[in-house]
Amino acid sequence: MNFGFDEQQKSFGDTVANVLADFPALTSPDLSAPPHDAVWQALAEIGLFALMVPSQFGGVDMSLVDLALAIEALGAGLAPPAVAATLAATDLLVHHGTEAQQREYLTQIATGGIRVAVAVLEADQGYDPHDVQTALDGSRLNGTKILVGDAAEATLLLVVARAFDRPCVVLVNADAPGIAIRIHDDLDPTSGYCAVTFDDVAVRSGSVLNEFYPEHAVERLVDVSTTISAGLLMGGAARMLDTAVSYVKVRVQFGQAIGAFQAIKHRCADMAVAIEAGRSVAYYAFWAAAENAPDRARAASMAKAYCGGVSRHVCNETIQLHGGMGFTWDLGLHRFLRRAKVTEHSYGDAAFHNERVLNATLAEVSAAADERRNNA
Amino acid sequence: MDFTYTPAETEFRLALRHWLVDALPNGWAETVFEPEDEYERAMFRLAWERKLHSGGWSGLNWPKEYGGRGATLVERAIFAEEMARARAPEIINVPGHTLAGPTILLYGTESQKQRFLPKIISSDEVWCQGFSEPNAGSDLASVRTKAERAGDKYIVNGQKIWTSFAQYSQWCFALVRTDPDLPKHKGLSFLLIDMASPGISLRPLRQISGESEFNEIFFDNVEVPVENVVGEVNDGWRIAMMTLAYERGPEDALGRQIRFKQELDQLLTTLSTQNRGNGKAIEDPNVRQKLAHSITEVEVMRLNSLRTFSKYLQGEERGPDASLIKLYWSHAAQNMYENALDALGPLAPLAGTDPLAPAAGRFPLSYLQSKAFTIYSGSSEIMRNIIGERVLGLPK
Repeated sequence: MNFGFDEQQKSFGDTVANVLADFPALTSPDLSAPPHDAVWQALAEIGLFALMVPSQFGGVDMSLVDLALAIEALGAGLAPPAVAATLAATDLLVHHGTEAQQREYLTQIATGGIRVAVAVLEADQGYDPHDVQTALDGSRLNGTKILVGDAAEATLLLVVARAFDRPCVVLVNADAPGIAIRIHDDLDPTSGYCAVTFDDVAVRSGSVLNEFYPEHAVERLVDVSTTISAGLLMGGAARMLDTAVSYVKVRVQFGQAIGAFQAIKHRCADMAVAIEAGRSVAYYAFWAAAENAPDRARAASMAKAYCGGVSRHVCNETIQLHGGMGFTWDLGLHRFLRRAKVTEHSYGDAAFHNERVLNATLAEVSAAADERRNNA
Repeated sequence: MDFTYTPAETEFRLALRHWLVDALPNGWAETVFEPEDEYERAMFRLAWERKLHSGGWSGLNWPKEYGGRGATLVERAIFAEEMARARAPEIINVPGHTLAGPTILLYGTESQKQRFLPKIISSDEVWCQGFSEPNAGSDLASVRTKAERAGDKYIVNGQKIWTSFAQYSQWCFALVRTDPDLPKHKGLSFLLIDMASPGISLRPLRQISGESEFNEIFFDNVEVPVENVVGEVNDGWRIAMMTLAYERGPEDALGRQIRFKQELDQLLTTLSTQNRGNGKAIEDPNVRQKLAHSITEVEVMRLNSLRTFSKYLQGEERGPDASLIKLYWSHAAQNMYENALDALGPLAPLAGTDPLAPAAGRFPLSYLQSKAFTIYSGSSEIMRNIIGERVLGLPK
C-alpha cells in the first residue's frame, strides 16, 4: 500500500503546469476565448494525450492515477474543458471500446488529433444519466443536450443516449449532418458550453461503446468524469489558496502584513486543511477508477461532493481575503470562481453524489452486519 | 499509488480477522456491548487490550526487542481497518501506546526502553500525560510545575490538569520546569513519574458528559529519580513537541477513525429500522444528505492518515503536518455527532437507560464527549496558528 505519487507522476503535473503558464490568457480577467489551438498543440507536444493510450495505438499505457496531478494542473491553469473531456474519452475507449473503435480513435487521440466534448445533461432532467431522453433508434439519434463543454471546437462527441430502454454512450462525429450547436450564455464563457441538438443524426453501426453492457460504459464515463472534475476543482482551489497566502503576506494594514492577524491566518489554515482533505478523497478516487476497484462509484461521488464544497469554501474565502481587490474585474479571481462553480455543477452536484454515497454505504453496512451474524 | 496489499499483508489481515472472531465476546456489537458504568467500562477496555497483547496484536510497529511485533506502518493501517470492521472495543492506554512509547523509543536511554516499553505493550502499566496546567493551556511553555535537583533525585511540586485516565495510570510523563532562570521554552524537562510515589494526589474532574475521564494531579514534594528524565535536562520542550506530533498524527487519527466509523455504521443501522411516520427515518432526504457528508468526512480521516503514513514511509519528518490531521478529524467528528442527533429526530434526546433510546442512548453521550475534541491535544486555534505559520509561512 502506498498513498503517494512517484516522481514520474509528479513530473507530469509539473510539466502540464509549466506549459499552461506559457499562456497567461488562460487565466486573464478577460472572458474572451483563450487561444485553444496553441494550448492544445502545446499539450499534445508534451504527449499528454498519449499517456493513457495503449502502446499498440501509439501511446504509453498509463492509467488515470498517473494523470491525477496533471489533471490538477489543468484545473489550476484553467485549461479548456475539451482537454479533460478528451482524457475521459481516452479512458472510456480503453476500457469499453472495441478494437475497431480503439484503432480509429485512440491513434488520433494520442497525437492530439481529436478533441472531445461529452454530452450528458438535458434541460428537463436531473443529473442521473439513466434518465436521459436523447434517443438512439436504430441508427438515428434525436434529442438536445445542454452544457456540453467546448462543443463548438470538438471533433468527436460522446453522447449519453437511450437505446432499447438502456442508457448508452454513442460516438458521434461533431460534423455529422443534423447536429446544431448553440453557444450558451452562461456563468463561465471560457468553458465553451453549448446546447447541442441532434436532429435525426445518422449514426454508423459500431458507434455504441460496450454494446452488450452499454450501461457499464455510461457508469464508467460518469465515474471517471466525476473524478476528473474533483481533480480539476482541487487544482483550482489550491491555486486560489496560494494566491490568498501570497497576498496576505504582503498586504499591509495597521502597520503589519494582514497574514499576521489571526482573523486572516486562521482562515488560511482552514483552507489548507480543506484542500488536503479534498486531495485525499480525490486521489483515492483516481486510484479506484484506474484500478476499477469495487468502490469506484462511491469513491468518485465522495470526491465530487466533497471537493465541490472545498472549492466553494476556498474560492469564497480567497475573494474575501483580497478585500476590495477581490471583487474587481481586473484581478481576475472571478475566472477561478466562475470555472469552479460550473465544474461543481457538472457531472452531478453534491446532492446527487451524496445520494450515491449513502446508498453504497448502506449496502456495505448491511453486508457487514450479515457477516457478523453469520460469525456469531 | 497502490492500495493493493502484498501476500504477507493480506495474511496479516486474515490472521487478525480470524483472531478477532474468537477473541470478541459472542454476539459482540449485535447484542453484547461495552458496560455502561464508567469504571467497569475502563476495566473492560483494559482487559481487552491485555487480550490484544496476549494475541500478539499490541505494540504493532514497535521493535521486537522490546516486545513489539515489528510490523510495518501498512500493517498498522490494516489493524485499524480490521478493528473498525469488527467494531472492536477501544483501549484506555492510548497515552502509553501513542505518546509515551514513541517518545521513549525516540529519545529514551536503552535502560528506559527496556524498563518501560514492554509494560506499555502488555498494558501492565497504563500511562497518563502531565502537560497542561491551570495557567498553561494553549500557552504550554509557561508550565510552572517545578522539578528541583536534590542529589540523585528531583523533587517535584506543582499541579497538572485535564489528565485523562490518571486514576487508572501507573506512570505519568510530565513536562516540568527544571530551570526557572532560563527563557520559558528552554528550562523544561520531560520527566517520567511513578504514580505510586508518595505526595501525589488526584482529584477527578467531571466533564459535560457527566463522566470523569479527566483529573487534576497534585505533586507535593514528589521524589523522582534523575534517571527518569527523557533526553537532556532542559530539552523537554523539543521532546514534548515530538510527543504532540504523535498525539496529533496519523496513528492517533486512525485509532479514532475506527470509533467514528463504528458509530456512524451503528447510526445507519438504527435509522434504517427506526419508524418515522409511514416510513423509516433513513428515507428523509435532508437526513440522507447530512449522513452522506459525514460518511465522506469520516472516510477522509482515514485517507488523510494513510497519505501522511505514506509520506513518513518515504522518509519525510514528522512535523506541523500533524496539525492538519488533528484539526480535520476534530471538527469532522463534532459535525458527525451534530448530524447524528439531527438524523435521530424526535428520539434524539433520549439517552442512557431510557427504553425508547435509539442505539442504547449512545449518541447523546458521544455528542457531549465530542465537545472536547477541538480542545484537547492542542486547541483548534493553536492548530491554526501552527498551520498558518509553519505550513503556509504566514508571519507571526
